[in-house]
Amino acid sequence: MTRAAIARLCAAGAALATAAAPVCAQEMAGMPSATAPSPGVVIPRIQLRGFWLADDQFLLEENLRLELGVARDLSISAELPVYQGFLDPPRPADGEFGLGDMDILLELRILREDLNAIDTVRAALFAGAELPTGTDAFSQGSVDPCVGAVFSSIRGGHGVDIAARYTAVTGDAMAHPIFIGDLGDDLVNADLGYAYRLHPEAYGEERVAAWYLTVELNAVWSTGGAHEVVLAPGLLVEAPSYAIELGVGIPVSQDTAHAPELDFMLLAGLRLLF
Amino acid sequence: MLHRTSRLAAILISLLLMSPVACRSAPSAAAAAIPGPDSLPAGRYTLVVNGMSCPKCISNVEMQLVRIEGVAEPTVDMKHGFVHISVGGAGAPRKSAIASAIADSGFTLVEIREVGP
Repeated sequence: MTRAAIARLCAAGAALATAAAPVCAQEMAGMPSATAPSPGVVIPRIQLRGFWLADDQFLLEENLRLELGVARDLSISAELPVYQGFLDPPRPADGEFGLGDMDILLELRILREDLNAIDTVRAALFAGAELPTGTDAFSQGSVDPCVGAVFSSIRGGHGVDIAARYTAVTGDAMAHPIFIGDLGDDLVNADLGYAYRLHPEAYGEERVAAWYLTVELNAVWSTGGAHEVVLAPGLLVEAPSYAIELGVGIPVSQDTAHAPELDFMLLAGLRLLF
Repeated sequence: MLHRTSRLAAILISLLLMSPVACRSAPSAAAAAIPGPDSLPAGRYTLVVNGMSCPKCISNVEMQLVRIEGVAEPTVDMKHGFVHISVGGAGAPRKSAIASAIADSGFTLVEIREVGP
């Protein structure tokens, strides 16, 4: 990893940390959620993912997402991999890092049923596209529209999220695919997440951060026959002004065709509320 | 190519189907159902709010409430689903504005209780 790359990562992290203001819902780290910022509120999220892939390859990815509340039940988000790089072995040959393709999503909450002080049930539809913003080695090079839906339920200390997404990939396969999404086939994502509140057991009158054990099952199938199912346990710490995400991804089943298989993945994330 | 065009068309149709839902009005019936005067005189109040399921709810609610003229010092009690506010200054906030701010935060206002002057 070059000094310039390290400096970029540190600068992005420091910029967010120092700009921190008052945050973010009981939201899983690796899947959509039916929660949204209120109008005029911006929630930045930065996530670092390390992918240990087959043949001893290591890919580092830094994602920056900005989510803006547009109206009461409407939000828009943009997620950009601001850094993607094969650090071991360095790839591509002419440079070891680059931008990835940006996701733009419009999310519309269609259900909000608040049952009592804590319990709530929510559902949202979302639609958007992946835009070809990436550098050559990390870009599909096409505009790929997607639609999806997500359902969230919080009952006491238990939270459940269920999401599905269909992506129409309009471009061709990448010369060196990294993920199943780079194979040029349409994608179906299905995600299931569960969060258990470890602390506090019951909320009091004072402000405290909540600690959750989370587990996600993230599955993706391509119309070309490839698939990947990843089990992702993690820890979520959520305070009024920030949320910290830590997680591990362990493949349960995978047939990634020409893309490298996943050995495991580590994730660290930070969300803030403005 | 025809196949891809069909898929794009299907997604666009899905988006069009979403749009009527997006345009639905958000009635402030909750405010009308809350007993008491239309606007709140100076004093301290407790808002009973449903759906505040996580710590970030505190920030969301407080950020929306302080935008209302006359509302100050909102503090959230997650145990009971209460939001305590002080009303004073030049403005006498309307119940509908408070209900709207709570709904904008993503939650449901159930009741406004006058605590004292």
